[in-house]
Amino acid sequence: MKKKLMDILACPIDKYHPLELHVFEEKDEIVEGLIVCPKCLRWYPIRDEIPEMLPDGLRKEAEDLPFLKKWQASIPEKIVKEGKPFHLKQ
Amino acid sequence: MKEEKVRKMVRERYGKIATSEKCCCGCGSEVSESVGYSRVELDSVPEGANLNLGCGNPVALASLKEGETVIDLGSGGGLDCFLAAKKVGAKGHVIGVDMTPEMLDKARKNAKKGGYKNVEFRLGEIENLPVADGIADVVISNCVINLSTDKQRVFNEAFRVLKPGGRMIISDLVLLKNLPTAVKESVEAYVGCIAGAEKKTEYIEQIKRAGFQQVQIVKETPLPEEMILDDPNAEALMKEHNLNKKNAKEILDSVVSVKISATKAQN
Repeated sequence: MKKKLMDILACPIDKYHPLELHVFEEKDEIVEGLIVCPKCLRWYPIRDEIPEMLPDGLRKEAEDLPFLKKWQASIPEKIVKEGKPFHLKQ
Repeated sequence: MKEEKVRKMVRERYGKIATSEKCCCGCGSEVSESVGYSRVELDSVPEGANLNLGCGNPVALASLKEGETVIDLGSGGGLDCFLAAKKVGAKGHVIGVDMTPEMLDKARKNAKKGGYKNVEFRLGEIENLPVADGIADVVISNCVINLSTDKQRVFNEAFRVLKPGGRMIISDLVLLKNLPTAVKESVEAYVGCIAGAEKKTEYIEQIKRAGFQQVQIVKETPLPEEMILDDPNAEALMKEHNLNKKNAKEILDSVVSVKISATKAQN
């Protein structure tokens, strides 16, 4: 994903814009990262350069939680502990 | 039919199509040419971008200008995005949204192959677009909205993301009369783009209800016969429901491909 895309990204649930971007790995484009909606605390992974902006019903906990765990240290605590649709148990 | 079940089936089916090179409604570039792509256009995009899943060529009708921002609902292998990308040029943007990870993966690889710098893909649902309000000049979609179980919401979302004065150009399948119940209830037929198709009048009403003006059917064409008669999925479906070629022809006659344009008024 290119950083510039943030100009037009909105949360698919509450349509909030602008969203927060956390970059974990960057080459020509952002390879891995996290997009956060500051309004509803939903987080969306960027994996393999693709921002995954799916609504809750299409998310897979078994794939998303390990991602959160992997980058835990680089993600704001509030998202790690309270983020939607999934967060890490205390 | 349960909405969740349909959505899951659609994702699974199109995921498989993306990875197996198989297609759903009719195969071969002949079908693509018959629905409105020129040979030159088809040859201009990376191999694999055209999965022959479309039923029109919305980009050809959209009169895209340089610098415009285009959103493609259900971008699949990326064909329409790539054609749009050429028209809007380096200052423009094309954003493809698709809910099937395998499709996005394919589209992204195709974008790399073709060296497209102004195309971005994202995983998302067309009923819940991850796009800010009022940023798009044009929304396009090709034979996808019929798969949605909540078409009104798709049109509402398209309207929301358009700038005032923006336009929507879509190709889709719609019905002229009701389908036989067995077909209507078949999930197989749904993913094959038919059972999910809406009555034409209702489809147009929904677009108007979303707020669009100047809603026009630019073109209405019967389905290419090979789209159903030579399609292995359709054949299996016909067998399952004891339908013969005559029934199939009846079904074929009740479905048409339409190209629709609509605009969002300038404030």
